[in-house]
Amino acid sequence: MSIALQSYITTLLVYLGVNTIACWALNLQFGVGGVMNFAFILFQSIGAYITAVLTLPQAQSGTYETYILGLHLPWPLPLVGATVAGGLLALLVGAFALRPARRDFQATVMLVVSIIAETLVVTQQGWFNGASGLYSIPQPFASALNLSPTAYSWFFAGLVLVVSLLVYLFVDRITGSPWGRRLRAMRDNPEAVESLGTKVSVESLKLYVIGGAIAALSGGLLVEFIGAWSPAAWTTGETFIYFVAVIVGGLANNFGAFFGAFLVLGVFLEVPQYLPNFSYTNTESAIQSALIGVLILVFLWWRPKGIVPERRRRLSKLAMSTASAAAAREAGTSAAAGSARDPLSAELVRNHRRVPRGVVRDAAADPDLAIAVRDVAREFGGVQAVDGVTFDVPRGQATGLIGPNGAGKSTALKLIAGALKPTRGQILVDGVDVAGWPASRIAQLGVIRTFQHTSEFAQLTVLENLVVAAPGQPGDSLGGALLGRRHSRARQHELLAEAWELLEQFDLTKHADTYAGELSGGQRRLVEIMRALMAKPSILLLDEPMAGVNPTLRLTIEEHLQRLRDGGLTMLMVEHELGAIERVCDSVVVMAQGRLLATGSMEELRSNEEVVSAYLVG
Amino acid sequence: MHQIILSIGFGIVTASILSMGAVGFTLQFGVTNLFNLAFGDVMTIAAFVAYVVHNDAGASIWLALAAGGAAGMLSSVLIARLIYLPFMQRGTSQFAMVMVTVAVSIVFNNVLQIFSGTGFYGYALLPQASVHILGMVFTPRELVIIALAVVCMAGLHLLFKYTRIGKAMRATSDDASLARTCGIPTNRVTNFAWLASGLLCGLAGVALAMDLGTFSATTGGSFLLVIVAAAVFGSVGEPYGAMVGALVIGVASELAAVISPDLKDVVAFGLLVVVLLVRPEGLRSGRVQIRGEVTR
Repeated sequence: MSIALQSYITTLLVYLGVNTIACWALNLQFGVGGVMNFAFILFQSIGAYITAVLTLPQAQSGTYETYILGLHLPWPLPLVGATVAGGLLALLVGAFALRPARRDFQATVMLVVSIIAETLVVTQQGWFNGASGLYSIPQPFASALNLSPTAYSWFFAGLVLVVSLLVYLFVDRITGSPWGRRLRAMRDNPEAVESLGTKVSVESLKLYVIGGAIAALSGGLLVEFIGAWSPAAWTTGETFIYFVAVIVGGLANNFGAFFGAFLVLGVFLEVPQYLPNFSYTNTESAIQSALIGVLILVFLWWRPKGIVPERRRRLSKLAMSTASAAAAREAGTSAAAGSARDPLSAELVRNHRRVPRGVVRDAAADPDLAIAVRDVAREFGGVQAVDGVTFDVPRGQATGLIGPNGAGKSTALKLIAGALKPTRGQILVDGVDVAGWPASRIAQLGVIRTFQHTSEFAQLTVLENLVVAAPGQPGDSLGGALLGRRHSRARQHELLAEAWELLEQFDLTKHADTYAGELSGGQRRLVEIMRALMAKPSILLLDEPMAGVNPTLRLTIEEHLQRLRDGGLTMLMVEHELGAIERVCDSVVVMAQGRLLATGSMEELRSNEEVVSAYLVG
Repeated sequence: MHQIILSIGFGIVTASILSMGAVGFTLQFGVTNLFNLAFGDVMTIAAFVAYVVHNDAGASIWLALAAGGAAGMLSSVLIARLIYLPFMQRGTSQFAMVMVTVAVSIVFNNVLQIFSGTGFYGYALLPQASVHILGMVFTPRELVIIALAVVCMAGLHLLFKYTRIGKAMRATSDDASLARTCGIPTNRVTNFAWLASGLLCGLAGVALAMDLGTFSATTGGSFLLVIVAAAVFGSVGEPYGAMVGALVIGVASELAAVISPDLKDVVAFGLLVVVLLVRPEGLRSGRVQIRGEVTR
């Protein structure tokens, strides 16, 4: 091979490796977790800058090059420092950029941060030598190895390959872990994840920090190879090139991210440079950038999942076999005990949860009261949606919450679940006032809700939808994920078996491997109820569980709710279908226009003129 | 002191431009629930259309301003009809929609660059004698821009308060599905919102180019984030909030420019960040929250 060809190939290899690492970082944030990091390029470039100033000796006074640090550290310390710096910067930025609930707001804040940072780096000459940037950064081991430039390039390509493999192992552990599954659930529906007891902002921040650190590592490697870095190397627009790469390659798929890096950053952007008689003018680079935009639109329209789509995790076979093995074991023991087990019985729904730290239960509280709502109100821009409501939800019973449209039923349910904060009043769960708590913390007490609009995790299979809800899984944290599959396997098998039993109960085993987003509306309701059960609720809040469900499926849902009630699960259920309320609920609370109208059994309420007229009028 | 009063004058001009932009942006967001990051590029398109009408075709700058407004309307409706709505009807998720608007922005920006190059353009305007008002100095053209913004804001106020379409827009903004159930033709309302916000966007684009003196293919895109800051300051989706946000950010950034011109955008963005720290969903969050909850 000629030297020119060799240097061309090694350069491409290094760029491919570095870009792949960066794409994995972005894929982890955006593809897996749904965090739109519009400041992505900032993290890559902080890595490059920090690597440079840790590698370079102190800036000489009297020259025009000024920069901070200049520690002249040996390899690999500059890369380590860069990775840490990337993580710290991500912590700082994420701490406020991830505060708004809407992801488009988050993205905008990050865009702003990126632009401010760009301005600062250019204007603050003393940081990284301003607009001219840093140069003559020594390559690692270059002097010790004393190789020809070509041989050194091959050496460096090998180095990048090794680092890429390490990063791959790292991201693969995360994406394959129970935590990775929770992150994907978070991407699909953050609010539902919150309602299952996970604080989405905290998990997003962890992801942001990990992604920031890996992006910085990629920038560090790049600067070690090219030996220079300046603001011209990282305009905000480059962030979107990485987005294109992961969208084209395939979101939430590490091979997809690699493929996207190869295709977009390698073939699409690099190859034209080496075509004969080609040089970039402004027009050509504008055409190329415009095509990047077109590419995003084309892929989001025709192939939103990318060329290598997210892998569907088919777990039904494993679930079925572990479930039957468990059943066989069970049969052995229960034959001796002489009792059959109903998986929907109280045993299944008993509370496995730990009480969250810092929660002191009121010893004087009435043990028969699961929830006590005391003078709770909520106002929306001058409208009293819930206006001083007081009612009880007795333990071990099903309570219905009914009323005409606009009565404030759903709002009341959301107030209890913590999805909304009351403007005044007390909400006592097991004697603990939870008014104003975040939804995730209330869920940790065992208060689990379903949603009025179905809120399945669309890109997770039905089985995954169920398993993800179970609290306290080994491997369902950053640390646990890194311990590897072996660490979490046993519990995962138990949960799969448990989920399979539920699917059998609800007659949905044939859809175990179907993406939840592909189910019918009624089936999605069932998935949501099963998911809530997997979360081991001590109190189940149901927001119109039968809305939009066909009559046959309604009956099924009704039967299941009756069995849960008979098993002793405390339930509060908002529903318009009064027949179902009558059959499922022991007592009923009626609301109208934000106020409490009456409480009692359905029979009592039917003879209550106020209630009847509210319904007729409402 | 004199310098500060002067800056307040500049701030009022900036705020006028900003208010048209921010109200337009917030109107789109309020009615369509779309965070349209291509808004700034539509402003640039309008600025270029006005350039062609004024410098090349020789029409008066005010006719060019009107042409820019029309261009803003037309391009807004076209992107909405041809790109945004088809994606939204398909159920594209909220965060994928942001990518869509970014993609549109990238395409517009670069197509403009293909035609315009990286050079700067400016309207051929004759210098005017300045007018002194309460120690502040304005050119007659700046006064017209301020008047235009005042007329736009007053017009919007009347629209929202007294016309059927304005009330329907407010209803759609509060809860689109409820509005539809109540018999409000939300489709027409949405179209109208794109037209109205497109007009404001176009006017803001031309006014910005006039105020800056020179502009390029990236002018609108870089001004967009200041607009977003004003809209977020007033709680996105709230036209009256956006007006307040425009005034605060416009004046504050011009005051900061007294200390150092570099601080101008930093102050605007700093305010944005502070607002998000204090009230993550914007200052006047009541109404927006209702919508957020209902659409979930």
